[in-house]
Amino acid sequence: MDAISAPDRARFERHLAGCAECAREIASLREATARLATATAVPPPPALKARVLAAAAATRQRPPAAEPETAARGWQARTWPGRTWPGRGRLALAAGALATAAVAAAAVVFGLSNGSMHDQLSQAQASSQQIAAVLTARDATMMTGAVKGGGTVTVVMSHARRELVFTAADLHTPPAARGYELWLIGPVGDRPVGMLPPVRHGMTGPVIAAGLRPGDHLALTAEPPGGASRPTGPMMLDVVL
Amino acid sequence: MTAINRPGPEESVPPGVGGDLAACLRLVARGDADAFDAVYDLVVPSVFGIVRRVVRDPAQSEEVTQEVLLEVWRNAAAFDPGRGSATAWVMMLAHRRAIDRVRSVQKESERERRSAAADIPFDEVAEAVESSLERERVRRCLRSLTDLQRESVTLAYYGGYTYGQVASLLGVPAGTIKTRMRDALIRLRDCLGVTS
Repeated sequence: MDAISAPDRARFERHLAGCAECAREIASLREATARLATATAVPPPPALKARVLAAAAATRQRPPAAEPETAARGWQARTWPGRTWPGRGRLALAAGALATAAVAAAAVVFGLSNGSMHDQLSQAQASSQQIAAVLTARDATMMTGAVKGGGTVTVVMSHARRELVFTAADLHTPPAARGYELWLIGPVGDRPVGMLPPVRHGMTGPVIAAGLRPGDHLALTAEPPGGASRPTGPMMLDVVL
Repeated sequence: MTAINRPGPEESVPPGVGGDLAACLRLVARGDADAFDAVYDLVVPSVFGIVRRVVRDPAQSEEVTQEVLLEVWRNAAAFDPGRGSATAWVMMLAHRRAIDRVRSVQKESERERRSAAADIPFDEVAEAVESSLERERVRRCLRSLTDLQRESVTLAYYGGYTYGQVASLLGVPAGTIKTRMRDALIRLRDCLGVTS
């Protein structure tokens, strides 16, 4: 009925994922609800059709879910228009917590360099909001993939916002003082997204990549400390967005 | 009502009104423009009807209807027949977009208590649509609900109000509204003979 709020809906969808009986009941009520719509059918102005068909011809379609592949291109995309999927609520909370914790940890280890702890924390909060905005975008898509050498990454992307949130788990710490750097490779040009935060317990992120362009790939390499302006290390991950 | 009789060497789209929407969506997912043309004809009266009922404004209703059809085009691959009928999927998209438009455009203070609470929701005069038999069936089943059940459904579904808003409009606790709504949908479903 769409009369519930977004967080309630997320919990509800998570419950549905594990309860087939509930899912059947809900599906039958949804069918009944759909009849409320079909019963009010009214033909629109005929001129609308040409506009819609023309707009569709200029609109890219979203591809279906693909089977995961091995090594560097292990991706699966899942999307259901307008819905949240199980776990996304948890991902949002985890992402927010990670952002704040990462900044706090960095501040302690490296000393307070730019600005006070408060400034850094509010910077973390600002990026938490940006992260939350991508995670809760109506057109958000989640993808997972495998990193060469070990590790999995999770990307949540919003086409409309041209932004994605990147997190990784089970990564090996990069060799000898190197750091992981994230890239966008594409027709517009290869550009660095930035260095990933230090890997802790195999985890790193979340990192926002903005300014996504059609045809972009997301790539990961290990680079010297401070990063590089062009990828110098081997590609450990290559994702088609 | 436009009939779907598509002349042509390749009858990739099932002809006839009430043609298999799910099959058409499978073709649309592969980029089949003819199939999308057929989908448009199959669903747009229902989509436009519910959008207009919720959004009211004619120009915005056309915009939202276009948004819904484009979403069907873009995300046809995401339709999962295991989760329900193709019609239910499209109507869910339509209803959701209509509600989003209403909630983003209208401020609370501008939404007066509608006489819609007493409206039977089919009082729009329309040219004969293939669902007139369907329309009568739904109308009859809605009439079989209690007043509170019917008002809750009307305000929530056609009015786009949240449970909290419906509760305050009807002067009844929100928990009661949730129960009424569920009872109403179950009665509607059983009256319509819907299976999932």
